[in-house]
Amino acid sequence: MITDFKFQICNCRFAIAFLLLTAAFAQTAEPLKMIPASQVIALPAAKDPTVCFRLWFKVGSQNDPPGKEGLAALTAAMLTEASTKRNTYEQILDKLSPMAAGYSSSVGVEMTVISGRIHKDNLKEYVPLLMQAVLEPAFKQEDLDRIKSSTLNHLENTLRYSSDEELAKAELYNTIFAHTNYGHLPEGTIASVKSIDLGNIRAFYRGHYTLENLVIGIGGDYSPELVEQLRTLLASLPHRPPSGMLILPPQPKIHGIHVKIIEKKCESTAISLGFPIGAHRGAKDWYALAVANSWLGEHRNSSSHLYQALREARGLNYGDYTYIENFPNGGALQMPPANVARRQQIFEMWIRPVPHAARHFALRAALREFKRVVDSGLTEQQFLATRKFLQSYILHYAPTTMVRLAYALDDRFYGIDGSHLELFANRLNDVTLDEVNAAIKKYWQCENLQIVIVTENAKALKEALVNNSPSPYAYPAPKPKSLLKEDEEIEKYPLSIEAENLTIVPVTEVFEK
Amino acid sequence: MDLSGKYSIPLVLLCLFSFILAASLASAGTFPFAYEQQTLPNGLKVIAVPLDTPGLITYFSIVRTGSRDEVEPGRSGYAHFFEHMMFRGTKNLPGPEYDRIVTGLGANSNAFTTDDFTAYHLTFPQKDLETVVKIESDRFQNLSYEKQAFQTEAGAVYGEYRKSVSSPFMILEEKLLDAAFDKHTYKHTTMGFEADVKAMPEGYDYSLSFFKRFYRPENVVILITGDVQPKAAFALVEKYYGDWKPGYEPPKITPEPPQQAPRSGEIAYSGRTLPILCIAYKGAAFDPGDKDYAAARLLNELAFGETSELHKKLVLREQTVEFLAADVPVNRDMPLFTIASMVKEEKDIAAVRGEIYKTIERFQTTPVDAQKLADVKKRMKYGFLMDLDSSDNVAEALARIVALTGGIEAIDMFYDTLETVAADDIRRAAEKFYRPDRRTVMVLKGEK
Repeated sequence: MITDFKFQICNCRFAIAFLLLTAAFAQTAEPLKMIPASQVIALPAAKDPTVCFRLWFKVGSQNDPPGKEGLAALTAAMLTEASTKRNTYEQILDKLSPMAAGYSSSVGVEMTVISGRIHKDNLKEYVPLLMQAVLEPAFKQEDLDRIKSSTLNHLENTLRYSSDEELAKAELYNTIFAHTNYGHLPEGTIASVKSIDLGNIRAFYRGHYTLENLVIGIGGDYSPELVEQLRTLLASLPHRPPSGMLILPPQPKIHGIHVKIIEKKCESTAISLGFPIGAHRGAKDWYALAVANSWLGEHRNSSSHLYQALREARGLNYGDYTYIENFPNGGALQMPPANVARRQQIFEMWIRPVPHAARHFALRAALREFKRVVDSGLTEQQFLATRKFLQSYILHYAPTTMVRLAYALDDRFYGIDGSHLELFANRLNDVTLDEVNAAIKKYWQCENLQIVIVTENAKALKEALVNNSPSPYAYPAPKPKSLLKEDEEIEKYPLSIEAENLTIVPVTEVFEK
Repeated sequence: MDLSGKYSIPLVLLCLFSFILAASLASAGTFPFAYEQQTLPNGLKVIAVPLDTPGLITYFSIVRTGSRDEVEPGRSGYAHFFEHMMFRGTKNLPGPEYDRIVTGLGANSNAFTTDDFTAYHLTFPQKDLETVVKIESDRFQNLSYEKQAFQTEAGAVYGEYRKSVSSPFMILEEKLLDAAFDKHTYKHTTMGFEADVKAMPEGYDYSLSFFKRFYRPENVVILITGDVQPKAAFALVEKYYGDWKPGYEPPKITPEPPQQAPRSGEIAYSGRTLPILCIAYKGAAFDPGDKDYAAARLLNELAFGETSELHKKLVLREQTVEFLAADVPVNRDMPLFTIASMVKEEKDIAAVRGEIYKTIERFQTTPVDAQKLADVKKRMKYGFLMDLDSSDNVAEALARIVALTGGIEAIDMFYDTLETVAADDIRRAAEKFYRPDRRTVMVLKGEK
């Protein structure tokens, strides 16, 4: 389904070599006067009094050179949180502040987007600042020091200690994609971030912030002249073949159930688990799988089955959700994020923190529910109810011009001719139960999983998991007999975990290198 | 009502969901939308704000009760807990049936609790307005749940506490409020004291009285934004909520006595973090016509905001702190005005605290630059306007003001007051609120 990437390079090292070889081309190529119209995604909305900008560069953390993980994210931050050649960062803040405006960058594994939004009253003052950020970064040492310090604080302290569930989710992705270009956080590692210097930033900027890697997204009440202005100004970016997309490594294979326990002092146990799936939005069966996923674990939605089984009936935790696309920052978002597109996705289950005494039981309960849907699929009634829900629910995915613009960029990323949300709506109209259950059989399975658990007293959990020890859970409040009967099955539900597939890692080692 | 089988939401909605901000700063009032409101004989107020959001409506039920109203010892956290219980259904419409209907609507539905109010919200297709009015009115009038369901939900609430407690900022907030307040219920967080949250399974009878006293029409405002026709909406609200019996019993909240001297404390956090310094002052309740309060909001931005001299010095130039963040909140009673900073090196905490005090002193003695004051006023208005970009966001931006004042009028009044604030008002606000005898300082330190 992905047709947008014609230039592919086999890995980061070769990518750098290739860039060096093409430097001569960059110097001699005829400069363009304007970014081609094909590289503009425009979303006019005359009634919207603001104008939205999303400048997408086809580069991401997959392009971080080995040992320099985090370079893509730091480079983007050096454009949007730092000085330009014309203004210090202090001066930029002074100019943006009265407009209640700003611009920011987001870097995922395969997308970098620099975005901003401005009331049209202030457009004339704003656009030059945004353009200078992208075209004339100053790359000052003091800005890099500040941004690196913030990144290191995030990795060393915030992500390790302040939210166990975010820690589990981050490490799930790192573990599944270990030894590939996907196998590190966009923020990098503690060792790699420390090693990044201004020379690395400048080289990355020169290599990837190029005319061919750019797609201009603009939305709201803008004039055609503004679009021409952007196309002209941004045509001064270096002119060289696209560099961003690397040939994907083979989809990682997991054999058996693997468990990584991150040991730390904590109040409760956070669990995330998953495995790679080959499904991508745009493909017909992705939408069938989306129906199954919505039924099983729609994000932060009490109607989903897993939520009902673990939270509503048993009160084990605050919520339980599943995903077939990456959903970073899930604790703060209600609707799926845009512009975190990636070519390799995983099925992910997020079990929010449970009491330590219920950790083994909750894991069993969740995997048992998952196995039931993998084995039996959805019923007609479940299918119809979920389809009906989604037919209206997807209307909430893109409520503003800014988000709709982000979706339009994602459509381009995934090579969708038209709109994913329109396609989703149309597919919901004609998808059948058989298609949904076929998609479950094709993409979901229970035998080969990666599980990440953040907890204390890891050794005891390891022994319990490897020995398949019974894990009865005593509720603090009475429960119906029927539920307790079911619990008798859950507490013995077998999980085949070999000792050699289970590792214990102290939290101080996570994200280290 | 039935969407299954046929695609009933026009596809075009996905493409046309654009939005109007009808006015710019030049218009008469700051709030840019026309609205209508009506109060039923039982005291229930309904406000409708029509917006250009074709086919979509947001429906907020705002209960003017939050953790502030938890006056009984041992019952902190009940406003929040009660928000959970409101999804357990009624005899007519048990929880699973309520869920089935909301799921069938494809509504974006949730709820949240704050110190001053609790809000239940849904965004859904316009044609389903009557269904929503019907199910919401039912649970607000006829909520019914068994003890077992109550106790199970208590487990989920404790789970919510546990998932949050790993954050140093939550610990800091808990300890700061506890230290700064002696009598007022702002002493505890909205989540509640942990001991109270843990004991919730035993509070079934109390929870019933909570519903009886607070979930009454004269204590609730219905706010409807989006593709709504006010008159038709009012008729629906009257039809379904008209029989709701009044009976709100305002809690007797003990006012906080004047603080006599500065307070301070240290917190040991059981994970690793950079030290966090928080300096808080007893502030003032929100009053849209109060120039001192408006001046404090401006002062907050001028002294500690992103373009302040202090931010430039500590965050950008010297880089001794990770961040500097300050807040003058919108509250029903006197809250804390806070200045927080994450300090990179423990040895610098005293120096950073000194810089914050010096900044306050400067604002107490030196008038602010007129252009800077004008810039901050402009920023606050554009910031407010630019957030109004969907029916959800409009309702969310209004909810707190509606909860505190009972209507929307306070928005224009507040921004009018803001316009009248002059340099000397800023100086006076700095003198009035940021005094040592109103201060509580907390320092949180992590493990080495």
